[in-house]
Amino acid sequence: MFRPAGALSTVHEITALQYALEKAGTRPIVVVEQPKLANGKTSDIAVVTNLTASRALVAKAIGINDHRSAAPIYAKKTGTPIKPKIVSDAPVQEIVIDDLTKLPALKQHTFDPGPYLTAAHATTYDPDTGVDNTAIQRGWIKGPRRMSWYPYPASHNTRNLRKFWTRGEKCPVVFWIGHHPAVLMGTQAKLGYPESHWSACGGLIGEPLRIAPSKTFGDKIMVPADAEIVIEGYAPKDVLEADGPFGEYTGYSGPQVAAPVVDITCITMRKGALYHDYGSGLTDMLVPDNMAMEGKVYSIAKAVAPALTNVYVPAQGRRFHAYLQFSKPGPGEVRDALTAALAYRRLKLAIGLDDDIDMFDDSEVLFALATRVQWSRDSFSIDGLSGSLLDPSTAAGAKTLSKMAIDATLPLPPFAGVPSPVPPRSKVPDAAMDAARKVLSGADMAGWPTL
Amino acid sequence: MTIEHIPAGASWEKSGNASWGQCPKCKNWFHLGPEILKRPEVKLHCPHCAHEFHQNDAPRLIKAG
Repeated sequence: MFRPAGALSTVHEITALQYALEKAGTRPIVVVEQPKLANGKTSDIAVVTNLTASRALVAKAIGINDHRSAAPIYAKKTGTPIKPKIVSDAPVQEIVIDDLTKLPALKQHTFDPGPYLTAAHATTYDPDTGVDNTAIQRGWIKGPRRMSWYPYPASHNTRNLRKFWTRGEKCPVVFWIGHHPAVLMGTQAKLGYPESHWSACGGLIGEPLRIAPSKTFGDKIMVPADAEIVIEGYAPKDVLEADGPFGEYTGYSGPQVAAPVVDITCITMRKGALYHDYGSGLTDMLVPDNMAMEGKVYSIAKAVAPALTNVYVPAQGRRFHAYLQFSKPGPGEVRDALTAALAYRRLKLAIGLDDDIDMFDDSEVLFALATRVQWSRDSFSIDGLSGSLLDPSTAAGAKTLSKMAIDATLPLPPFAGVPSPVPPRSKVPDAAMDAARKVLSGADMAGWPTL
Repeated sequence: MTIEHIPAGASWEKSGNASWGQCPKCKNWFHLGPEILKRPEVKLHCPHCAHEFHQNDAPRLIKAG
């Protein structure tokens, strides 16, 4: 954990620190105890960011010792839901404040128009069934009691909003900020509609999530009792205002959009609350969502390809690339799995790999692509699949994407018990490698060329 | 003020998807999504100077597609 000495501004400076850490190749949790607001005042609410920048730390937070095995375990845990527990003593409701601008929300990137809630979990409910939905959705703080809210058009929260508005009603919504990383990961579970995230959170933490009725909406919208901050309000019918541009997960600034606004009814927080921020477009935001994607893609592809052993969605590919690993796949099985994976909305490239490839090492993946692929034979593309239109490479007006799959696995053995018809990989004996590591163990490598 | 459209090329040629508007006050440019351009009643907000204006008042609007 890194606690920078002195004050840091919520305008660009904290995000710049995250970029600098990422460039340096290190991913500590960052706690800024003296965040300086845009008006020059120092907030007494500390900012926590980079909480989820490290795969290793996130995996540990959800009880997984090795992040490399996260996909099947995450899929299993979120697929084993535990119902939440309703409590009346919610620490998050200990203090009531009346002004959103007191929160140390960050203005992260140069094109962002103002301070944004980036780790706000928006909870709405389906007015037909009463089932709630939770998703991380941004909010631009526009004043003491007003903010914009941008539920992505394809999101379940947008469905709920539209249902309320079609009825001629304003949409109730609660934003909660800050919780144990396992709970944050539970809200990233990719569920059907309508389906509550509270039970998926319970599956990840291994016990019922404690929830309490919100101050404004009672048991219509529950809030996590142990969150840090809760903001409650209504999105008035058909009121849209400019929102953005906003630095997105793609690494580009997303365009200005027409977004709903929220009139705030109540803000509560726990004593000594921390304000949680996700560095948008940084590994801090990519890692938890990508790990949740790994669980979902694993479930989808495993259903058609039992030889699938693992899935990795690398932050280097934003949310667009997935590596699928196989052990002794049968004929057609890799392509079946890759085709299934491409159906997942956010992906646009799926690569199939053998289990001798360390898919968490990009140089190994490039090795497989370089030596195991004949492009016309082993790659295929499918146009017209659903995807993220924030992808800057899409054509204007496009509603779907062009996606690609690459089978970078070796051919199967022609008969049982014989080798595959490919040359063996070059290697040296394990004992020689151990000896080499011993030779290097005491060497001072500082200053040695790395390229 | 009319919206200027970027001419479409052949399907095999690269094309972008970002539309841009120019602020009447500070003259800086910022990018706009397709949906907000379909809603002239929603005021645009310049992220550079915080000026709010209707798209009809933008000196230039360049629309992709």
